[in-house]
Amino acid sequence: MERAVPHAVPLGQMEVFQALQRLHMTIFSQSVSPCGKFLAAGNNYGQIAVFSLSAALSSEAKEESKKPVVTFQAHDGPVYSMVSTDRHLLSAGDGEVKAWLWAEILKKGCKELWRRQPPYRTSLEVPEINALLLVPKENSLILAGGDCQLHTMDLETGAFTRALRGHTDYIHCLALRERSPEVLSGGEDGAVRLWDLRTAKEVQTIEVYKHEECSRPHNGRWIGCLATDSDWMVCGGGPALTLWHLRSSTPTTVFPVRAPQKRVTFYQDLILSAGQGCCVNQWQLSGELKAQVPGSSPGLLSLSLNQQPAAPECKVLTAAGNSCRVDVFTNLGYRAFSLSF
Amino acid sequence: MGAVTDDEVIRKRLLIDGDGAGDDRRINLLVKSFIKWCNSGSQEEGYSQYQRMLSTLSQCEFSMGKTLLVYDMNLREMENYEKIYKEIECSIAGAHEKIAECKKQILQAKRIRKNRQEYDALAKVIQHHPDRHATLKELESLGKELEHLSHIKESVEDKLELRRKQFHVLLSTIHELQQTLENDEKLSEVEEAQESTMETEPKP
Repeated sequence: MERAVPHAVPLGQMEVFQALQRLHMTIFSQSVSPCGKFLAAGNNYGQIAVFSLSAALSSEAKEESKKPVVTFQAHDGPVYSMVSTDRHLLSAGDGEVKAWLWAEILKKGCKELWRRQPPYRTSLEVPEINALLLVPKENSLILAGGDCQLHTMDLETGAFTRALRGHTDYIHCLALRERSPEVLSGGEDGAVRLWDLRTAKEVQTIEVYKHEECSRPHNGRWIGCLATDSDWMVCGGGPALTLWHLRSSTPTTVFPVRAPQKRVTFYQDLILSAGQGCCVNQWQLSGELKAQVPGSSPGLLSLSLNQQPAAPECKVLTAAGNSCRVDVFTNLGYRAFSLSF
Repeated sequence: MGAVTDDEVIRKRLLIDGDGAGDDRRINLLVKSFIKWCNSGSQEEGYSQYQRMLSTLSQCEFSMGKTLLVYDMNLREMENYEKIYKEIECSIAGAHEKIAECKKQILQAKRIRKNRQEYDALAKVIQHHPDRHATLKELESLGKELEHLSHIKESVEDKLELRRKQFHVLLSTIHELQQTLENDEKLSEVEEAQESTMETEPKP
């Protein structure tokens, strides 16, 4: 069998530009479609690419199945956060949140359904939105970001109902505590604040950097990632990745990872975390490292678990970060392949 | 390569007989020899030809019997395979169910492990704190000390009050005495002044 010798083709301007773009790309956010078969990824150029997971996972997948089905320019700035409701994809980045219909998104020239901007105090600079959170019980969306407040938006009317103030610096991440409808927010000021949605007040504050077991002053006090399991919470970032018991506000286990973690989530009996190294770490609640699976990007910023019941064959973990690739882990033990922008 | 040998085989067969292969040829030969036998002359030749025809006939019957047996055998093999196929399907379905069961059990076991680990984590934190009985006892003893000390404080304060009051009484009495003495002095001064004026007046 012969292989054709690749001869040097002079690259055109467009190709050089595209190659440079891919080199400097960072993927900040991911979201799975409600049918479970598609994955949307948003990058620092404001583009959203939709990949077909079912095609890439099928037995006759080719190289083209690992490329996006469609890519479009969604925002003028980076797309920091995306969530999906059962019909829409909501994306936010440069101060606005836009909604796209999943049914229409695969067609070329898709237009946003609506765009909203929360009421900011100053109209001079528009702060970025770092995190979006869906509250299914009240059908509302919570946005948080550069202006240190949590804004609640009702998804039916589009009106902004509450603005929760308390953070002194910008907010990085949000998590929902399901049993009592509370929202946790973690930010640059090093505090994790719990807000009760019914009374719109701050219920509890945990200043992580003040606890000796987990504080790492050389990294700073910022909280980069949050995840909660109703009674327990994991948070990390500048301070070490720690498991907290919420009712007593005590840190119970410190996970021994040196690199600041940017994303953490509970999965079955494990805690998955990813951050400045290229690996996805799997921890047991006792603090032991169960596995460390390397990905293809030098740093990871976003983890997404496809647990949609409609597509059990696409149940994968996808990780993306400082590169143009999205790693797909079919079995948590190894990286199966990578999708690429 | 298979196509080549097929062609060769076909060519060879066509060369050998033009009437068909194997059994077909035998039947054709039988028909020809029957016609020949009908037209034959002598008794002996006819008899030998008759014997030959009978043998060809029995050969044909033999091969037919063989083919029938082979056909039966194939049918029974087919049934056998069908049966095995169904059994395997059943066992596959059973295995699928067992897998689903085991998956559920794994989830349950993972949940149990998670609960145990949460318990362990909390227990570790609780162990750091001292025993409840010891703390209660310490609290009791501290409470008693506190009471004792407050009693002492009260008694000392009472004593202080008493002394203060006594001093107050003493001082006020002294003051009054002073006042009275001063008053007396003034009175005596006034009286002396009055006497001196009375002395100077009646002289002239």
